[in-house]
Amino acid sequence: MRDRDAGAEASDKISSGIVGFDEITGGGLPRGRVTVVLGGAGCGKTIFALQGLVAGAKAGEPGLFVTFEENPEQIMKDAKRFDWKLSAMKGKGVEFFDAQLSQAIIQGGEFDLLGLLAVIGAKIKQLGCKRVVFDGLDVLLGHLGDPALIRGEILRLREWVYAAGLTGMVTAKADEHGHSASDYAFLQFIADCVISLQHRVTAGAAIRMIRVAKYRGDAHSANELPFTITKGGIEVACGTSPELHHSVSMERVTSGVERLDAMLRGGYYRGSAVLISGAPGTSKTSLVAAFAAAACERKERTVYVSFDEAPAQIIRNVASIGIDLTPYVKSGVLTMCSLRARADNPEAHVARIRTLLDRQQARNLIVDPLSALAQSFDQAIGDRAAVQVLDVAKGLGITTLSTSLLANAAPLSEETPLGISTIADTWMHVSYVSNAGERNRALTIIKSRGTSHSNQVRELILSDAGVTLADAYISDGEVLMGTLRWERENEDRRAKQTAQTESHLQQKQAELALAESRLRIEAARTEQALREADLQRVLGARVALKELDRVETVERASRRGGESTLLAAAPRRPVRVHR
Amino acid sequence: MRSPPAGRQGALLSLRLYVAGESPNSALAKANLNAALAHLPKSELTLEVIDVLCHPERGLADGVLVTPTLIRLVPTPEQRVIGNLRDRSALLAGLGFEEVQGE
Repeated sequence: MRDRDAGAEASDKISSGIVGFDEITGGGLPRGRVTVVLGGAGCGKTIFALQGLVAGAKAGEPGLFVTFEENPEQIMKDAKRFDWKLSAMKGKGVEFFDAQLSQAIIQGGEFDLLGLLAVIGAKIKQLGCKRVVFDGLDVLLGHLGDPALIRGEILRLREWVYAAGLTGMVTAKADEHGHSASDYAFLQFIADCVISLQHRVTAGAAIRMIRVAKYRGDAHSANELPFTITKGGIEVACGTSPELHHSVSMERVTSGVERLDAMLRGGYYRGSAVLISGAPGTSKTSLVAAFAAAACERKERTVYVSFDEAPAQIIRNVASIGIDLTPYVKSGVLTMCSLRARADNPEAHVARIRTLLDRQQARNLIVDPLSALAQSFDQAIGDRAAVQVLDVAKGLGITTLSTSLLANAAPLSEETPLGISTIADTWMHVSYVSNAGERNRALTIIKSRGTSHSNQVRELILSDAGVTLADAYISDGEVLMGTLRWERENEDRRAKQTAQTESHLQQKQAELALAESRLRIEAARTEQALREADLQRVLGARVALKELDRVETVERASRRGGESTLLAAAPRRPVRVHR
Repeated sequence: MRSPPAGRQGALLSLRLYVAGESPNSALAKANLNAALAHLPKSELTLEVIDVLCHPERGLADGVLVTPTLIRLVPTPEQRVIGNLRDRSALLAGLGFEEVQGE
């Protein structure tokens, strides 16, 4: 709640049911008071007021819609474009009162609203209404002509609303400066809250603006804010709502680039907003197309919104790097929609995207480039629209990949022209790195919430087989890219080959040495055997000699008287001796 | 939906005037209407004055938006005049008696 002199309570305000409006007014419309909605024809006054009643009905506060300008049937019919299910509410929360003066009526003097208020009062009592709308009050009061009388009746109406304990809304065709109907400018003096709606043309595009011109006794944002009319009704682009209620998923979805998934420790978080920024031609589209193809492969409905580039052209371009989106478009899992950035205002584009998401029940959204929303328009409006797109998608749990074009002047200053870098959960930047006469694409993950992502700069490579990231080659603290990386890769390969050959050689040498030593052992064993045999022979010879000696001695003894012939021949016998 | 003319059968002119209490416009309307009808024979006229502050449901049923509202029920088709009826020609046109005025 805002600061107020008297103690303010939450019940001082009631929800208007309008996304963004409750935020800028700190709660909605003033309870038990009169809010005046001013604006030219076709500004959305009726929608604004009706939306307030619908919100009331949903909150258990029935309302009466008094129409001075249009048939209730016509209003009901017009409201069919919204997902309010108004026809189901009719008589159960939202009631209409046709207060159009018949054309055939003759005016015979001044009149007052006493009768109307008495009649409406009866109806309100009967229905238990808490809210009342007087739509197009200027039409009825215009019959009075006299500004003083008109003022009198407006005051009467206000007092009646107060006395009945209702929350009132009055719409009238007038702008806050009173250009078109000065008599009704008076409304803003007596009203407790004045909302001014405008539908104006800026840079050739129609933009709807809302301004809380007055909010009695309360601080409020008096800024003019763009709004859009969506399926849910009016939505004020207040950009950042004070509270975020987006649910958070732990589920990861692949980026479509395996190595990028690794850098992100598993891919993008489902329902997160991913921003890819970079200069033209840095293959931002290739990255989002890779994601789209992977998502479609999982049979997840995906909406691909491109600005100023036809779907056929995108399909052709990404086909050149092996990403074929055609079957997905044919099967309906992928919806491609090309918008002309300048053809409409950013708010309308946001509404279109929202409708697409709704209709396709999409799980993934691609906006390429999101920065197109900001082109040729007021920067602030574009920024807000961009934030809104991400906000809407997040609210629906949709994973969003958006690209943002950066001027090439400062490719590494990494400032997105849109203030969306803060709302994006993952922000990757693709830039050209000029080195050794080449321009190579470098990808950096600047941030990725909830992920211990890689902080390396990697080279992005496009080929017939798709998008991938090269291994990081770091030399003197720089990531090598392109030919330099290729050279380094070759060098490394050569070094490895040399090392391999060397070790092979060493192995062979070792084997050879081993074999040699084995042979040596074998030779030694053979020699040993020979020598052992020799020894045996020598020993044997010695025994034989001894025997011979003995025999000789015996014989000599026996022949002591005879001849000793055997003795003379004995030394000639061949006897092998040691070397 | 609408209640039948409150007068007896055969009235040439049947009127219903919706007023809001004694508010200035309502008082003026009654006076102006009475003045315009003064010369008509009572037998030919039915006039019902309804105060919407007391009977809002009547006003609701008749689709009354502002006060005062004069409804000419007979002769048909129905004709309505809003305002305090100070515009005499508008009132007579609403009552459908310009010829009467010419006598």
